[in-house]
Amino acid sequence: MEDRPPTDAALAERAKQGDERAFEELVRAYQGIAFRAAYLLTGSAADAEDAVQIGFVKAWGALGRFRRGAEFRPWLLRIVVNEAHNRRRSAQRRESLAMRAAFADASGDAVPSPEAATLEREGRQVLVDAVNRLDERDRDVLACRYFLELSERETAEVLGVRHGTVKSRTARALERLRAEVGE
Amino acid sequence: MTELEQRLIALGRVLDVPEPPDVVSRVLAEIGEARMPLRRGRRLVLALAALALAALLAALAIPDARSALLRFLQIGGARIELVDDLPEVPGPAELEFVLGKRVSLGEARSEAGFDLLSLDEEPDAVFLGDRDTVWFLYGTPDAVRLLVSQTPGVRIDEPFVFKKLAASGTRVEGASVRGSPAYFLSGEPHVVMLLDELGEEIPESLRLARDVLVWEERGRTVRLEGDLTLDEALELADAMR
Repeated sequence: MEDRPPTDAALAERAKQGDERAFEELVRAYQGIAFRAAYLLTGSAADAEDAVQIGFVKAWGALGRFRRGAEFRPWLLRIVVNEAHNRRRSAQRRESLAMRAAFADASGDAVPSPEAATLEREGRQVLVDAVNRLDERDRDVLACRYFLELSERETAEVLGVRHGTVKSRTARALERLRAEVGE
Repeated sequence: MTELEQRLIALGRVLDVPEPPDVVSRVLAEIGEARMPLRRGRRLVLALAALALAALLAALAIPDARSALLRFLQIGGARIELVDDLPEVPGPAELEFVLGKRVSLGEARSEAGFDLLSLDEEPDAVFLGDRDTVWFLYGTPDAVRLLVSQTPGVRIDEPFVFKKLAASGTRVEGASVRGSPAYFLSGEPHVVMLLDELGEEIPESLRLARDVLVWEERGRTVRLEGDLTLDEALELADAMR
């Protein structure tokens, strides 16, 4: 029988005791989503990369405060997101657009007609533009909930707010987004 | 899930995010570097600690030797450090930038997650900032009459929210607001900065603050800042409900 890979909790506990190999596994596992989160918040690949690197180093230093039984992913993302916020502030890019209008090629089962593809692309562009017109707080909560697909609980942890605040903030952000897209 | 939410998820899956860089080796290298000086520096740290203890004992023996002695006072989410010299503060802070996102009073009340104390007079601007801090600004960012901040309680394992550095020109007095202990800082401006959740200073928040009354009430840290005497500050604090 194959050994099960260690859980995040086990790795975090080992890392807390100073096991760099365990921390390395956590870095490998979460550098992707950490970068995605930082990129969506800063809109800059270079800033996102710095935020991720510094975030992981800070996380290592802060492992002593990581509570046993807590989830590692949102704890880490909170550190990275804070770092991304700091970088965005340092660059005085308060109103920076969090998302680019370019899209990766969508993969799907059916190949849409050129007309349908154009319509779909235009529809997405309208939505991206509308999200970009929202303020920072609205964008952040929407990015966490829908673009990073984090749960409400994880979003609360990442943004450092209460669970109820995520619910109300998401509802308001969606309402404002509806108004922006004219629905 | 609504159609709009489904569209957002679908959009998220096709957003063009650059390929994530592999930071593993750089992170491990930095961790390794951070560890080395710690080991080498441990003896130095112990030696400095011994010197600091000797200085502390010497200073305690001399009344009014505050400037030679580093002391800490803490109240709620604020920590006041009495220091020899203030750090350099790079020009006046862009207050609006430091305070956070501007919101309506109603939004602040619903998003704060705790009951806000308020004065009869409505603030001219309200901001939601780091660490769930709500700021009431009276006046304008360029001409502040009064600045009020309220921060929810910090857990014992969480870092402070405000770090204040006061040199000998700043007077620090004990006071009381509705039976809760308070400190009043007056005289020469002191340096204030905000700390993030990891206790790291947020560099942009560094600024000089004027007279400040700070106290902890019902788990929240409240801070009044302006050109105030202690009596005026206490009167305002008493009026906050």
